[in-house]
Amino acid sequence: MKSCLIVDDSKTVRMVAKRILEELSFSTREACDGQEALQLCESEMPDAILLDWNMPVKNGIDFLRELRGKVGVNQPVVIFCTTENGLSHIHEAIAAGADEYIMKPFDSGIVESKFSQVGLI
Amino acid sequence: MDELLQEFLTETNEGLGYLDVELVKLEQNPNDPDILSNIFRLMHTIKGTCGFLGLPRLEAVAHAGENVLGKVRDGDVEVTPGLVSIVLECLDRIRLILGALEETEAEPVGDDSELIARLETVAEGWDAEQLTQPVASDALETGSDAPSEEAASVPTAEDSAADETVSEVDPEQADEDVPVELAEIEATEENIVEMVQPGEEVVAVVSNDGAGGGQPPAPEMEAGDQGQPRESSVANQSIRVNVELLENLMTMVSELVLNRNQLLQILRTHKDSDFAAPLQRLNHVVSELQEGVMKTRMQPIGNAWAKLPRIVRDLSQDMHKKIDLQMKGADTELDRQVLELIKDPLTHMVRNSADHGLETTEGRRAAGKPETGTIVLNAYHEGGHIIIQITDDGRGLNTDKIKEKALANGLTTEAELANMNEQQIMQFIFKPGFSTAQEVTSVSGRGVGMDVVRSNIEKIGGNVELTSKYGKGTSFTIKIPLTLAIVSALIVESASERFAIPQLAVIELVRASANSDHSIERINDTPVLRLRNRLLPLVNLSELLKLEREDDESEKDQFIVVAKVGTYSFGIIVDRVFDTEEIVVKPVAPILRDITLFSGNTILGDGSVVMILDPNGIAGETGELTVTEGMEGMAEQKAAKSDDTVAMLLFKAGSEAPKAVPLGLVARLEEIDRETIETSGGQPVVQYRGQLMPLITMDSHQALEGTGRQQVLVFTDRNRSMGLVVDSILDIVEEPLNIELGGEHQGYIGSATIAGKATDIIDTGYFLTQAYSDWFQADGKLEGDSASNRILLVDDSPFFRNLLAPLLSSAGYNVTSVEGADAALELCEAGEDFDVILSDIEMPGMSGFEFAAAVRANRWSETPLVALSGHASPNDFARGRAAGFSDYVTKFDRAGLLASLNETLSNMRGAA
Repeated sequence: MKSCLIVDDSKTVRMVAKRILEELSFSTREACDGQEALQLCESEMPDAILLDWNMPVKNGIDFLRELRGKVGVNQPVVIFCTTENGLSHIHEAIAAGADEYIMKPFDSGIVESKFSQVGLI
Repeated sequence: MDELLQEFLTETNEGLGYLDVELVKLEQNPNDPDILSNIFRLMHTIKGTCGFLGLPRLEAVAHAGENVLGKVRDGDVEVTPGLVSIVLECLDRIRLILGALEETEAEPVGDDSELIARLETVAEGWDAEQLTQPVASDALETGSDAPSEEAASVPTAEDSAADETVSEVDPEQADEDVPVELAEIEATEENIVEMVQPGEEVVAVVSNDGAGGGQPPAPEMEAGDQGQPRESSVANQSIRVNVELLENLMTMVSELVLNRNQLLQILRTHKDSDFAAPLQRLNHVVSELQEGVMKTRMQPIGNAWAKLPRIVRDLSQDMHKKIDLQMKGADTELDRQVLELIKDPLTHMVRNSADHGLETTEGRRAAGKPETGTIVLNAYHEGGHIIIQITDDGRGLNTDKIKEKALANGLTTEAELANMNEQQIMQFIFKPGFSTAQEVTSVSGRGVGMDVVRSNIEKIGGNVELTSKYGKGTSFTIKIPLTLAIVSALIVESASERFAIPQLAVIELVRASANSDHSIERINDTPVLRLRNRLLPLVNLSELLKLEREDDESEKDQFIVVAKVGTYSFGIIVDRVFDTEEIVVKPVAPILRDITLFSGNTILGDGSVVMILDPNGIAGETGELTVTEGMEGMAEQKAAKSDDTVAMLLFKAGSEAPKAVPLGLVARLEEIDRETIETSGGQPVVQYRGQLMPLITMDSHQALEGTGRQQVLVFTDRNRSMGLVVDSILDIVEEPLNIELGGEHQGYIGSATIAGKATDIIDTGYFLTQAYSDWFQADGKLEGDSASNRILLVDDSPFFRNLLAPLLSSAGYNVTSVEGADAALELCEAGEDFDVILSDIEMPGMSGFEFAAAVRANRWSETPLVALSGHASPNDFARGRAAGFSDYVTKFDRAGLLASLNETLSNMRGAA
C-alpha cells in the first residue's frame, strides 16, 4: 500500500482528501502545517504528498523547498493543491519542486487522474 | 449531520473568531504584514473549504472578502476604518449563513449581491467610508488618528452625546476586546439582523439614546430575506442602559446600605427583637443587591488599555524604538468610574515607559540587551483591590540625574540629598515640577508629570509604588480600589471623636501599653514604635487634629493603626478601635476641601456623621514621606534572597568609599550619645548593657568629640561587645559576593563591587583584636590543646576562606584552606592528614554532599566532617548527616562553629 501525507491547515479539507485517498487504497497521514509535515517526513518519508499552499507556521512552498533541499533521501511525489490559480503561482510551485498541481476544490476524479499522471496509480 | 459539515462549521466558526480579533489588530497596525497575511490566510481557508462542500453562496461572500484582503496584502488598497468595517460586515454575513447552515444543513436562500458589490468597490480602491451609512460616517470621518475609537462608537453618539453614552459601548472604548459588540453596531448600521452565534453572549441594541437628535430611536429590525428572526431572544439576554440610570441606582443602593447599617446597629442593642430575623434577611438581600449593582458598573480593564497598543506602536515608529507591549489580565474588571479615572494616568505612564524608560535600539544594543524593549502591563485582583503593574526593561532611573534635576529645580538641598538613599531619590519623579527627560519630547512633554499621575491615582484612594534598577528597568505598581462608592473602612476613636480610615491603607493594628512588648518610645520628642526590629514613626491623631483631650489618658492603652502610603509605613495613634464597616463615601464639603487630612465623610450605622481620614494627607503632615522607604526595599530584598547571596551591611566610616561587612556578623546597630563616651586607658568606651564597651574607629581621623548621636556597629561574642564607630549606615544589600582580594591594608579583606560601587570589605577579626587583643586567644585557651589540631577548610568563596581562616588560626587551629573539593581530595592523595574537615555545601563542581561521600569512601573516612552552609534548615541538616557530615553549622555563626569543632574533636578523642 502506498502512503500519502496530506498537508492542509483545514481539517475539513484533510477529511475530504483522506476519504478520496483511502478509496484509492492509500494509507494516509495528516499534518496541519509545513513544520509538522517536515517532522512527519523525517520519521517516515511517504510516497506522495498532497500539499496546501497557505498555512500558518510554515507554508506549503517553504516546506517544499526545504524538503527538496534535503539530499540523500527518497524523494516523494508532491502534488500541490491550492486555490492560488495564477500562472505565476503554478510556475513558482513547479520551480520549487512540485510534480503536479491541482486546483481546489478537487474531487475524487481529479485526484485520481493526477495521481495516475505522475505514476502513483 | 454530516461529519464533514460538522467539522467545517466548527473550523469556520473558530476562524471567524480569530478574524474578528485580527482585523481589529490590523486596524491598529495597518502595516503589519504578519497580521495581514494571517487574516488573508484565514479568509482564504474559509473560501477554499467552501468549495469542497458545495456552498456557493458562502464561497461567493468569502471570495469577495478575500479579494479585498488580497488587494490590501498586495499594497493596492490601504487599510482604513471603513475597509475594516466592511470586511467585518462580510464576516457577519458569513456567520449568518453558517448559522442557517447549522440549523438546516443547507445554505439559506438570500441575496448578497449588494454586499459583494460594495466589497468589490472597496477592492478597487474606492474609499470605503463613503460606502457606509451616513449615521456612521460622522464618526468615521473624524480622521485616521484613532480609527479604533471611531469604529467602535455608537452610531447615534455624536460628540454632544458623549455623556449619555451607554455603558456597554463607550465611545472611547476600542473594540479589541468586544468584537461581538462591534459586530452588533455594524449590524445596526446596515440593518442586518442576526449574525451572532446562538448561545454566544451578545449585546443587543434595545434603545439608542435620543441624544442623536433626528436619528431614529431604534434600529429597524428588518427581517429581510436573510434575517433569522431570532433577535427577540437575543435582545432578552442583554440590554443597553444609560449610565446615568446606573449611577442613580448605585446611589440609591448606597443609601440603602447606610439604612441597613443603621438598622443593624439598632438591632445590636435589642437582641431579642422580633425584627431580628427579617432584618437579617434584609441584610443579605441588600448585600446581594449591592453586589449586583456593582457588577453592572464593572468593565474589563482592557477597555482602558485598548488604545495603548496603537499609542505604543506610533511611539515606536516616531522614536525608532522597537517596543513590545504585553498586556496581561485585560479581563480584570473594575468599576467604570475608577476605570475612567485611571485611564489617563495609565496612558501617561505607558507613554513615559516607551519614551523615557526604554532606550533607543542603538542604546539597547550597546547595553547588551535585546533590541526590542518590552513594556508589560499586568492587572489582577488582590484583596478587594486592583493591582496594575507597568514594567519596562529599559534604562531604569538614573539617580544622579534625578539629584541634579531636583537641585536645579530647587526641590531639595545638597545636604538633604546626602542623607537620602536611592529609593528616596527616585521619589522625586513624583514631585511637582520634575521631569527626567533631558529634552521635552513631543511624546511625554505635555505638561503632565508623574506628580499629576500620582495625585490622580491617590485621588481615587489608590497609591503608586516605584522600583527601579539603573540599567535594568523600572516598575510601577498601582493599587486602586475596585470601586469608589462603597469602601471598607476601619472605625477608630480619638479624643471621643470617631473617624473612618480606609481599609486599603491599613496594614495592621498594634496595641501599645507601657508594660507590653510594644510601647511607644520617644526619639527627640517624636513618638516611635519598635515593631519587628523596625522603627515606625508615629503620629498622634488627637494632636494632629488638635482635639481637646478630656483628661490625661496617656496612661491608658493606646492603639496604633499601622498604615502604608506608597512604600512609606507609619503608625497613627488612636484611643480605640471599633470595627470595620462598609461605608458610603460622600465628598467633603467645600469648606473642608482644603484640609488634606480628610478624604470625605460618611454616615455610620448609628446615624452619626464621621470624617474619613486620608492616609496620604496624614503622611504628608508627618513631613517625612520617604523616611523608611529604603528599609522597606531591604525587607523585600531579604524575602527574595537566594542561596548564593550574602547580606552585606554598607556603611561609611572615615573615608568616602563605602565599606561593607557581612550582616550576619553584626549583632546590633546602635546610636549612642557622644556625650556618654568616656575614655578608659586611652581607649574610648561607652557603657553598654551594664558593661564597658570599647569603641574602635576605622581610622584615627574620626573624631568622637562633640555632641549629637553617633552610629555604632556592635559586634558581640560570648559576653563581650565591641563597637565599631561609623559615620552612617548606607544600606543593606543582598548580592552575590565577588571579592577581589587586595588585602594590603590592615583591617580589610579586600574589595567587591556592591550595588554598582567599589566597596571595601572590612576584616572584622582585625578590629576585634583592636578592641581586645586576646579576643580570639580567649577562645583558644578554652579549647586547651587545640593547637595540635589540623583543620582543612574547603570553600569556593575567597571571602569566607579569608574570613574563617584567620578566625580559626587565632582560635589555635592549624588551618589549611582550599578552594574546592578536588583540591581537597588531591591533598588526601598527597598523604596529608587532618583532624577535622570543614566544608562548604554550595560549591561549583563537586558539591559538599558529593565531597562528603568521596571522603567517606577514601583514606579520610574516619576524619570528622563539619558542613558549612548559608542556611541550615532541619532538612539540610538531615541531608548533611546522611551524606556523612558529623555536624552542620551556618556561616557567620562563629561561636557555633568553634563550639561544634570543639565538640567534634572531643568526641573523636573520646572515641579514640
